[in-house]
Amino acid sequence: MSTYETIAKLLAESKDMDVKDIRPDMGFAELELDSLDVAELVMNLEDELGVPVEIDESLRTIADLVAKVDKEK
Amino acid sequence: MINSILTGELGLAYPIFQGGMAWVSDAQLAAAVSNAGGLGIISAMNLNAGYLREQIKKCRTLTDKPFGVNIMLMSPFAGDVAQVCAEERPAVVTTGAGLPNAYMKDWLAAGIRVIPVVPSTAMAKLVERAGAFAVIAEGGESGGHIGDLSTLTLVPQVIDAVNIPVIAAGGIADGRGVAAAIMLGAVGVQCGTVFLCASECNIHENYKQKVLNAKDIDTIVTGKRLGHAVRSIRNPFTRKYARMEYESTTTGEELEELGVGALRKAAVDGDLENGCFLAGQCSAMVHEIRPAKAIIETMFAEAESLLKGAPAWVK
Repeated sequence: MSTYETIAKLLAESKDMDVKDIRPDMGFAELELDSLDVAELVMNLEDELGVPVEIDESLRTIADLVAKVDKEK
Repeated sequence: MINSILTGELGLAYPIFQGGMAWVSDAQLAAAVSNAGGLGIISAMNLNAGYLREQIKKCRTLTDKPFGVNIMLMSPFAGDVAQVCAEERPAVVTTGAGLPNAYMKDWLAAGIRVIPVVPSTAMAKLVERAGAFAVIAEGGESGGHIGDLSTLTLVPQVIDAVNIPVIAAGGIADGRGVAAAIMLGAVGVQCGTVFLCASECNIHENYKQKVLNAKDIDTIVTGKRLGHAVRSIRNPFTRKYARMEYESTTTGEELEELGVGALRKAAVDGDLENGCFLAGQCSAMVHEIRPAKAIIETMFAEAESLLKGAPAWVK
């Protein structure tokens, strides 16, 4: 499973969404994710992939998160 | 005396913070709490850097004890007030409504102890990683913006999740709550509702009476639909808001508009119809208006007595 597919799966599970409704270019605001939701997603991602993910202001979209994780792998 | 890292490293006489509450936590209240041996906290609210700087300077004329500043990270002035803190160097900065990572470097360089309020273990881990000195684990019993978990369940889980000190908040109104927080593993407590009825709190008298007259079931949570759950004391405003919130024809914008200025109407104008009187579930446990010193000393005398009596439970 690719990083994007892992993120989409985790997001779909935690926010009760359909994976098909998630796209890489979607922003956290568009997905109605607040800072608490992003924190949860990052922690779940770290548990799933075993890779630390640093949150900073550049992290605004699913694609940003994918890039950050892939850089750490 | 009850001692912890808060009395040691922060130089407090009692391990208690007074919560940063918008339109409530001004320099006068913060100074009174700090003079009484706790950590008073000035709320930066949604106001600009000039307001905060003035409050900090005023606080320094009223106390030489440590005090803190609370920053609401969703404020449009968050960056500016963060800079004021880096320049003015309060002993502590507490934060809410977001992650403070963007400002940590400057605050830590200024020697400030950063203690974010967290509603989950995930947030606690992230702020620990960013350099937080401690966290305030605030359960949904509290007034104002709340998370999903109760204090009783949140505090031990956050303690298990991080290696930094954890302060318990939410629903603590007397020595029993303090003793319980210590037994959960917290190093101290943060209280908000009890300080609404401090003599030195400058909110409208109607607000204090709302708290004093509240019964146990008199608080309500609204705003969940907007993702900003808020606990306040029931009144015509909350009834109207709750009704509109559950009507599918009400838009998010209409709900946002309804809430604009509602806290100010409560705290400043004492508007019983249209104000939003933020307060926690422990409102009914607050029975009188007292100086901050009396609130803190009574609370900790009771806590100490309970903790000293704890061995009697174990045979």
